[in-house]
Parts: sequence; structure tokens; C-alpha cells
Amino acid sequence: MKTGIKIVLSIALFSSLSFSNEQFAMSDADRAMYAEMSENNPADIMVADGEELLDYMGGDEGLAKYLGVTEDELPAYIAGFPRYIKKFDMVVGLDQVIQAMMHDTGKKPFKLKSGNMFSLLAYVKSIANGEKINIDVNANAQMKAAYTLGKKTFMTKRGGRGLGCISCHSSDVVGSVLRTQPLPDLGAKGVASAATWPAYRMTKSSLRTLQRRFQGCMKNALIKVIPLGSPEMVALEVYLTAEAKGSKIAIPGLKR
Amino acid sequence: MNKIVFMSLLAGVSLFSANYSSVISSPNASKLIQKDLLAPATKYTMPAGCITKDPNAIARGAFIFHNLNGKKAKKKPPKGLSRKQMKPGVTYHQGDKIPAKQYGNCIACHNIEGAHGAGNIGPDLSNYKKTYIDSGARNYQFVFQKIADPRIDNPKTNMTVNLTTKLFTTKEICEIASYIVSPK
Ligand code: HEC
Ligand code: HEC
Repeated sequence: MKTGIKIVLSIALFSSLSFSNEQFAMSDADRAMYAEMSENNPADIMVADGEELLDYMGGDEGLAKYLGVTEDELPAYIAGFPRYIKKFDMVVGLDQVIQAMMHDTGKKPFKLKSGNMFSLLAYVKSIANGEKINIDVNANAQMKAAYTLGKKTFMTKRGGRGLGCISCHSSDVVGSVLRTQPLPDLGAKGVASAATWPAYRMTKSSLRTLQRRFQGCMKNALIKVIPLGSPEMVALEVYLTAEAKGSKIAIPGLKR
Repeated sequence: MNKIVFMSLLAGVSLFSANYSSVISSPNASKLIQKDLLAPATKYTMPAGCITKDPNAIARGAFIFHNLNGKKAKKKPPKGLSRKQMKPGVTYHQGDKIPAKQYGNCIACHNIEGAHGAGNIGPDLSNYKKTYIDSGARNYQFVFQKIADPRIDNPKTNMTVNLTTKLFTTKEICEIASYIVSPK
């Protein structure tokens, strides 16, 4: 699948910002920049880097083989991650699959938080562009447990201010404004976070992954930041991916 | 290098061929989370003399209300309020460097007189004295408890917990409350 990378953007956040209220941080200049970047997502370069890195391991074909599916089945299969994989005996995200594949092809796995891994993850997920998220949280006991853990982690209040993800992302506050930022509905059609990350974050001028985004919210809210790839992080991804089930994958996203 | 990786190197990877725990990063987070959990909702009684008209105390309360932390605050904090957290271990942050003091960042969720870029997750606290206190709808104890631990009168609140988390001292909660109920 060397058809180049589809450029799709998540316009939902943008449109939610576009009503004309002065207190919103997105100024006209910001909006102009957003419009320009959406034509030419800076993360496309990183996604292309990821494609090149995967080529060293046999490209899409190698990945499909590694995952035990055909190349045709690969996009839909990728749209179902995180999954329980028997060989690893754990529920894994795509980045963790990449680590295992690197190891099994005789390479030293990238760290989950490395830039190369972010690029690889973005490319691999972009293989599923246009597919609908099809995660099955009832597929087995492990997925059920991961979903439950993810939901619990989302609801748990902790940290210096006693906040949980739920404090700012529950349905009763979605659309309200925190400081100058409207609170996004993480599962809603259009935002569907799980379908739009990895994404380019304009405020960070870099490619970020979904789990990295979680860490950003944790840090801002004084919630102790937990490491990428930890069972709770993967579980949070499972939970929010289930929330976005049915949404079309569009990687790389473009975010404020 | 963690122990398992080291052992598997010594023993030869083939022995562990079905075990990816040394290959796939899956660090433990449950201990971090456990230590970070929020204590149960706690009821507090406002101490005597809590609500004050002392302009310095009100200025500190206002500063805490409008700012996020000592590092981000643009203006100099008023007398008696530090930019740094001088009591490591007492509040959330620990470590070798003296961390920036956290403030309330209440305007993230509340509008109030003079707020810049206020949010609207919580109610507008403008004109609080007249609307809520003089009308008898609220009393000082309510305001104190709400800031200290808002879960007491609303278990499902989205508001921050400020005393049970030890983010602030009782005195600081009094100063914030004094600011909210002061005429502006
Ligand atoms: C104090 C409020 C607050 C808390 C607590 C919080 N968030 Fe957020 N979150 C926000 C705001 C505000 C944004 C949008 C910021 C922006 O647009 O720059 C956001 C954005 C996000 C996004 C990106 C949405 C998208 O796709 O564009 C994700 C994912 C997310 N949060 C997940 C979490 C998770 C998981 C937690 C808990 C660990 C959490 N948040 C806790 C306020 C919060
Ligand atoms: C993350 C959002 C958020 C932050 C930050 C926040 N609040 Fe609130 N606040 C709320 C919400 C939501 C309510 C209404 C629900 C409730 O009463 O629990 C509320 C209610 C209140 C009330 C009660 C108003 C009334 O009389 O009914 C007071 C007083 C208050 N907040 C003060 C503060 C102060 C002081 C701070 C900072 C130290 C603060 N808040 C920070 C969300 C927030």
C-alpha cells in the first residue's frame, strides 16, 4: 500500500471553535494557520518516515505476515487495535506490536516514546485510513478486562487537584469552556479521538500519539503522569477506541 | 536495563521465546496511580476568623484564584504568597528542586470580576456577595467547604478538591473564600 498518505483532518474541533466568541484562544490568525495546515499537514513527513522505517521490516507485506493476515485484510485488522494477541499474551497497542516485530526481525525495538516509534505508529495506523474503527471489547476475557480497567482509569479522580478524565470529558461538561478551550467530546463523531490520533499538534509543533495526548491532559491537570504502554494506558486507549467505534480512521489528524 | 531483560540475555532468548514481557514495554503504572488516589470526601468546619476583610489576605486569595502556578503567573504574587512551594512533600510535587507553587486556576472554570479568559464549567462567581451571600442562598461555611472539598454537597462534582488533596492550607482556603465573598 504505497499509495501515499491520505491527508484527512479532524474538523470537529475546528468547527467547535469557529463560533465567534472573543474569549476563545483561536484567533483569526490561528484559524488561518489551521486552514493552511489542513491542506498540508506537517505530520505527513513523519508518516512518510514511518513508512520508510517499516520498509526495513518488510513493509506492509511483512507486517501483514507478522500479524497473520493477508495484505488485503490488514487495514481492517489494524482498525481493531488495541487487541489481545495470544502470542504476546497481552492486550497491545500497535506500537507494542511494532516492538515485538522489531525484536523478532533482529532489531532493537524503539522505545515507545521515541520519535521514530511515533512515526512508525502513525504510518501503521494510517494503513487503516478510511476504515471504521472495529474494536471488539467483548472478543475475549482479556479485552473485557482491558475495557473495564480503561473505564475505571478514566473515572478515577486523583492528583493534586482531585480530577479525573471524567471531570472534563463527561457528557455534562462537553462543549463548556475550560480557560479558553472548549472541552471536546472524545467519542463523538467527527472528534472521535481514537480515529484521529496520531496527530500533528500545532501548539506543540510535533506529531503526538493518543497515549501521549493522555499524558498531556494528566500533566496539565496535576494527575500523576503514567508511562506509555502501561496496562492502564493501553486500557484507556481501549476504552476511548470503543467510544469512537464506527468512526472512520483519518491519520494524521490535525489538532490545536 | 531491567532484570528480566538481563536474565533473558544470559539464558538465551530462545528459552523465553513465548515470553514477550522483556520485548514489549509494559511498565507498571498501578503503584503510581495508587499513591496518587484522591482521599474520600471530607467535611470541614471553617475556623474562627476565616472570612476576613484584610486586604492583603483578599489579595492573596485573588491571586490564587486567577493564576495557575508560580511559574506561569505573570505578575508578582502579593505579600505573603510565594512563587515556590516551600514545603516539599506536603503538597503534590516532590523532588530535589523546590517546585513552583500551584495556585487555584479557578478561572479555568469560573468567571468572576476582572477575569481574563474565564471558563464556564462552573457557575459564574461574579457579584457573589450580593447574589449568593446577602440573599441568604449561601453562607461562608458553604463557600469554605465547597473550595476545600466540593464533593460533600455534590458527590458527582467536576470541581477540583483543594484541601483534602493538601494543595492548599486551611488559611489559604480562607483567603480564597474571603476574596469570593468580598465586595468588588
Ligand atoms: C482539567 C480538564 C481536563 C482533564 C482532567 C482531562 N482533560 Fe483531556 N482535554 C481537556 C481539554 C481542554 C482538551 C482540549 C484541548 C485543546 O484543544 O487543546 C482535552 C483534550 C483531550 C484529548 C484530545 C481530543 C482530540 O481528539 O482532539 C484527549 C484524547 C483527552 N483530552 C483525553 C483525556 C484523558 C484520557 C484524561 C485523563 C487522564 C483527560 N483527558 C483529562 C481537558 C481535560
Ligand atoms: C475543573 C473545573 C473547576 C475548577 C478548576 C474550579 N471549579 Fe468551582 N465549581 C465547578 C463546578 C462544576 C461547580 C458547580 C458544581 C458544584 O457545586 O460542585 C463549582 C462550584 C463552585 C462554587 C459554588 C458556587 C455556588 O455558590 O453554588 C464555588 C464557591 C467555587 N466553585 C469556587 C472555586 C474556587 C475558589 C476554585 C479554585 C480554587 C474553583 N472553584 C475551581 C468547577 C470548577
